[in-house]
Amino acid sequence: MKKAIHYINQFFAGIGGEEKADYKPEIREGLVGPAMALNSVIDAEITHTVICGDNFMGSNKDEAVDRILNFLKDKEFDIFIAGPAFQAGRYGVACGTICKAVKEKFNVPVITSMNEENPGVEMFKKDIYIFKGGKSAAKLRKDIKSMADFANKILNGEELSSADEEGYFPRGIRHQVWLESGKTAAERGIEMLVKKLNNEPFETELVIPEPDRVPIAKPIKDLSKANIALVTSGGIVPIDNPDKIQSASATRWGRYDISKLDNLESGVFKTIHAGYDPAAADEDPDRVVPVDVMKVFEKEGKIGKLHKYFYSTVGTGTTQAEAARMGKEMLKYLQDDKVDGVILTST
Amino acid sequence: MKLEIGNFYVKDVAFGNETKFENNVLVINKEEALNYIREDEHITEADLIIAKPGENVRIVPVKEAVEPRIRPDGRPVFPGVTGDVEKTGEGRVHALKGVSVLGVGKHWGSFGDGLIDMSGEGAKYTLFSQTINICLVADTDEEYERYEQQKKNHAIRWGSHRLAEYIGRTVRNLEPEEVEKYELEPVTKRSENMQNLSSVVLVMQPQSQMEELGYNDLVYGWDMNKYVPTFMHPNEVLDGAIISGSFMPASSKWSTYDFQNFPIIKELYKEHGKSINFLGVIMSNLNVSLEQKKRSSIFVAQIAKSLGADGAIVTEEGYGNPDTDYIMCIAALEDIGVKTVGISNECTGRDGASQPLVTLDVKANALVSTGNVSEIIKLPPAEKVIGELQALARDGLSGGWAYDEILGPSVKEDGSIIMENNAMFCGDRIAGWSTKTVKEF
Amino acid sequence: MLKEIERAGIPIVHMCNLIPVSLTVGANKIVPTISIPYPLGDPSTSEEEQWKLRYHRVEVALNALTEDIKDQTVFNVKI
Repeated sequence: MKKAIHYINQFFAGIGGEEKADYKPEIREGLVGPAMALNSVIDAEITHTVICGDNFMGSNKDEAVDRILNFLKDKEFDIFIAGPAFQAGRYGVACGTICKAVKEKFNVPVITSMNEENPGVEMFKKDIYIFKGGKSAAKLRKDIKSMADFANKILNGEELSSADEEGYFPRGIRHQVWLESGKTAAERGIEMLVKKLNNEPFETELVIPEPDRVPIAKPIKDLSKANIALVTSGGIVPIDNPDKIQSASATRWGRYDISKLDNLESGVFKTIHAGYDPAAADEDPDRVVPVDVMKVFEKEGKIGKLHKYFYSTVGTGTTQAEAARMGKEMLKYLQDDKVDGVILTST
Repeated sequence: MKLEIGNFYVKDVAFGNETKFENNVLVINKEEALNYIREDEHITEADLIIAKPGENVRIVPVKEAVEPRIRPDGRPVFPGVTGDVEKTGEGRVHALKGVSVLGVGKHWGSFGDGLIDMSGEGAKYTLFSQTINICLVADTDEEYERYEQQKKNHAIRWGSHRLAEYIGRTVRNLEPEEVEKYELEPVTKRSENMQNLSSVVLVMQPQSQMEELGYNDLVYGWDMNKYVPTFMHPNEVLDGAIISGSFMPASSKWSTYDFQNFPIIKELYKEHGKSINFLGVIMSNLNVSLEQKKRSSIFVAQIAKSLGADGAIVTEEGYGNPDTDYIMCIAALEDIGVKTVGISNECTGRDGASQPLVTLDVKANALVSTGNVSEIIKLPPAEKVIGELQALARDGLSGGWAYDEILGPSVKEDGSIIMENNAMFCGDRIAGWSTKTVKEF
Repeated sequence: MLKEIERAGIPIVHMCNLIPVSLTVGANKIVPTISIPYPLGDPSTSEEEQWKLRYHRVEVALNALTEDIKDQTVFNVKI
């Protein structure tokens, strides 16, 4: 029989309400509170129940998480379930926090449940499975059942359906699936168009998400003292591509010393980017990474100095997660050399 | 304009002494067919191999797919490609259904080439596992691009168009089993009942992003990079006015077979006179620079407006930077009050967590998704490979790789493969066949 | 990539041709280039013209790094 561990707060453990919300984490063998209901519907044995006060988790997050992870490190379990937390904000955030930490540390599936109004949903829906739950404990059995049904699919190795079909909040992960209806894209498209023309409700298959923005960095005060770096997603590399950067869907990047060069010579550097016609870039790589003019700006005193290396990868088909990781890796080097500003060229 | 497509259903294909179509069986005299192919002296080696649905066969690198056809009146099937520039979209054309001519590299693959599995798990990814495929497996003397990742593949692509026409000759003077009729009245000469329905245009964005000529889709033999949008009759698309190019990652590609059978056009015809008044096709293109993209969207919106379109479907042959053309065109149409639906695939990354299209605009509020190009696919070895399996890993096919720290090479020693959906030949079936969608998990 | 660098407080200017992509990705400072395959020098023009164009646009980008902006900005170029 597979094994599960359940997380609940002080209230559902029967310890007390607000006055006991500072209750420190503990682990008990066997079933406490809602764990009993869960145990009756899940295809696993719930071996332990973890209990923690919502305020303790809220104000001593690191300590609470450490203690709980410590409880779990010598336990065997196949799945970790928290809540349901309904509309209780602190409980929801606690369930999200501990589920995320357990998933990262032990790499087991984690599941929780909250009402859509719970702030924990926004905070953690990208990281973990959060089932759409009721507003109050009146929905306890129902919410436990929906978590357990999904947990059973995971435990039994069954195929998992999409977020909407399963009933959890979408995690921002999109994968292709074959429609059971067998309806073709042509049929779906024209059906959608006719509905749109008739002002009837229709459902887009791709909801355009709200854009993500980063705060604008403080500008450079004095360019003539600034250290400027060049970065490109145009795939310019030394001719032998020493870092084996892929020509599409790149997961690797390289940095190349330009301190002794006046420009990027054709035949010494080239592009390995597969998304565009390489002829112009190969003929003169400065067209993509303008080392030649930057060297002149350095000589003319327009800038303090040109950072010793340029950084290169390929933008096409590269996932955001990979791009972000590569960006972070480059950032380390840029910060080490106290780079003040960056020019990123894209093709 | 009235087009009749006379259909001949092919139940089997075999080699024999005489190239003929009899009792629903297509027989090909291999030597005669190959001699015809070799009239192009750039073809240095050529073979014909038949691959049938259900066989344990893998085909790679596939460059093109063409439905065999012929015109009884002698006009070329692909004007400007297999013969002189002539009108298309009206009159009679004969088609062999259920079969496809595939242009396959004997050794060498390129960025836009794809893979087809005729059976097993891999078969569900492409339409061409369901057709009997007459594979032209060839090598050429195109030395200048032998080791290039981007190849024009001119000889093999033209070879497949010519072979399709050669096979089509078998039914030139026969009576088809069935005749499909496609007819639209001139836009201003339609009945009042028709005019009372919502008017709809289809905006097509075929691949034309290579500035060097020879890689792009051709319209009447003309490279669509040097082209601005125009109004076309849907029959022209169904009737060989456009052939596919050699650039876009395979799963996003519209092969020539797709143009000849374009499901979105057929579906619009089906609804014509019932729920919509199908005005016709605004044939756009896909561009490289922003200025070109804008210019095309201005042309498209103006034509739609002048025609009085109430609604539009926009579809693109591609993903990545072409998404900019796609979204910009949808937004330009919405801005002038044309209610628009988009049909295309997505690139959400191997983990599914990336932004699905490279540009986004909330005006694009009605989109059909046909697949995720970067989905990872693992498939067991096939008993027989037509072409060369190593091409998937070695030659820079968009969904294959020679080396990866975690996943290893695309082609394993035992012949099993790991690849991105990108390299599935016409895998996302954007022309409208796709029964896939993309869902949130 | 761009956002990771800006998030760390280092100003970054994105030189690219596809402004809508850059705006969608979330670049805050954008300087247009002339095309995808040759962002900073059209091979059909003379070496001198290419140099002038590249010098000008990179200078615009450098100046952009010193600009105090409140919203996503596409900087104007003259050539």
